[in-house]
Amino acid sequence: MAILSLVLFGLVIVAMAAYGYKISARTAEDYMLGGRTIGVVVMFFFVLFAVSSSWTFYGFPGMLYLHGPGYVFFIWGSVAGFAALYMFIGPRMWAVSRLNGFLSPVEVLSERYESKALRIILSLSILAFIVPYVGIQPLGVGVGFEALTGISAIWGALYTAILLVLIVLLGGMRIVAWVNIFLGIVYVSALLGSLVWVVSALLPEGLTGAAQYLLKNNPAQLSAPGPRGMFTPVLMAGTFIVGLIAFSWPHIAIGVMTARDKTLFKWFPLLIFLFGGLFFYVIPFLWGSIVAPAVKPGITTVAEADRIVQTIITEHLPPWFSIFVVMGVVAAAVSTAAVQLMTSGVIVARDIVQGVFKPDADDRTITSWARYSVVIIIVLSMAVSVWQTQAMALYLTDVSIPGFAQWAPALVGGLFWKRGTKQGAIAGTLAGVIYLALGLVFTVGGKRVLLLNLHPVMPTLLLNTIIYIVVSKLTPPPSESIQEQFFEEVDAFLRAEGSR
Amino acid sequence: MREMLQHTPGKVFLLVLLGSIVGMLAAILSGVMERTVLVLGFITMPLLAGILFVLIWLVAYLVYFFKFWPFR
Repeated sequence: MAILSLVLFGLVIVAMAAYGYKISARTAEDYMLGGRTIGVVVMFFFVLFAVSSSWTFYGFPGMLYLHGPGYVFFIWGSVAGFAALYMFIGPRMWAVSRLNGFLSPVEVLSERYESKALRIILSLSILAFIVPYVGIQPLGVGVGFEALTGISAIWGALYTAILLVLIVLLGGMRIVAWVNIFLGIVYVSALLGSLVWVVSALLPEGLTGAAQYLLKNNPAQLSAPGPRGMFTPVLMAGTFIVGLIAFSWPHIAIGVMTARDKTLFKWFPLLIFLFGGLFFYVIPFLWGSIVAPAVKPGITTVAEADRIVQTIITEHLPPWFSIFVVMGVVAAAVSTAAVQLMTSGVIVARDIVQGVFKPDADDRTITSWARYSVVIIIVLSMAVSVWQTQAMALYLTDVSIPGFAQWAPALVGGLFWKRGTKQGAIAGTLAGVIYLALGLVFTVGGKRVLLLNLHPVMPTLLLNTIIYIVVSKLTPPPSESIQEQFFEEVDAFLRAEGSR
Repeated sequence: MREMLQHTPGKVFLLVLLGSIVGMLAAILSGVMERTVLVLGFITMPLLAGILFVLIWLVAYLVYFFKFWPFR
């Protein structure tokens, strides 16, 4: 029953992708950026469910279950970070890429700084940190699959990986965005439906009763630093700052380039605040911090905590609903990883293959390269994730996000600071990436001494930013033509009436 | 952001957002999140702090983007 349902669910998704393949134009712009025709509603589903992965369903509640509510500051920071992307960076990134036909955010920066070397550095560093993150998604599904069926997690992971490859090979960015609407609806229904059902079935006094139970039996669950004393004020502040850097996630940043017109940037933050901040992310928070600890206390291992939501649903709700919830997790994983894979494919094809090796490649060639690279990336990412297993939540916040952050100074400086130079961007990015890699690898007694025992993003981003500013100040400013192209023309375009 | 820095409403908007971030960090570091307080019976301090933070951003955004944003 479970396997048959998941196969049917997969077939629906593949059919949508195949339809997308049939109707799509065969241009690189259409494949990579959905022809720059994404409106507010589709963008909302596209971005929210690109952000919300199996981590939101499993890793986030798992972390809250084990360590109390302190981890939620990552969410509050992220909500502000995503809003900042669309309020501050988005309009300029969209305008400059539309005016000049840029297809990837890395291309925008390489043209802004007039540097092929920076293009290679940014491409490789973004790919290096996005690959493990992609692999988390199929493995996340595997966790739910195992909790539901008892069959090894690897089969759930393989199922998701095959779905992902088919969607991205057939569909491109437009269909990934459209499929995310379907996946998002399934995802929200499963996440919210499971919470409402479990609360009404197992907690007769509702959330208040559950909270009062915890207050009596496990009060540390309801405040920082949490039951194990992990979330000190300093760690919570760091977690919040890490969330704020969400504007630099490359698979989210590329979304702004797909926008149909500038009005999207006026309306989009409203959905982020109302639906994302005040509704959607509160659901897994309640699941992990109150409902799960009240319904099933006593879990102590990370692996069990990561699947606590699925375990409770499987134990207490009808089998058909458990299957539906796993579909929701598949939807969450696929909607995120498909965008990550598309972003990776765009970077490989547009920035590495065409940008460096085959400048004369036509649309057909780079689109093919984008598709080939997706297969390689998914295999690589799953291998990395299987090899380097750790808690889902920590993987995201400790490895991928600090890596994504390393292009932030070049990105922000490139769009807002005329004085930012290619030497500054190259020096800052290289310093940040190398420092991060060394800091993560070299540990003494389990402590990351090179990172001063701080969150990896803090010292590395600070060093990156300082070097970017200092070196930019010490080197000749960008040419007049670049300043005109990336600042004056962009301002004029954005101010113009009907600037579509 | 460049366009926001070129007029007073934009500067006020950015100051409000910055102030909310500083306020959130100050609240966290003050130790207030370590209090076991349940608003409406189930809203813990970290959840309450986040809801207030998002509301501040929401109101500031609504006022600025729909009334003052030069590219609106």
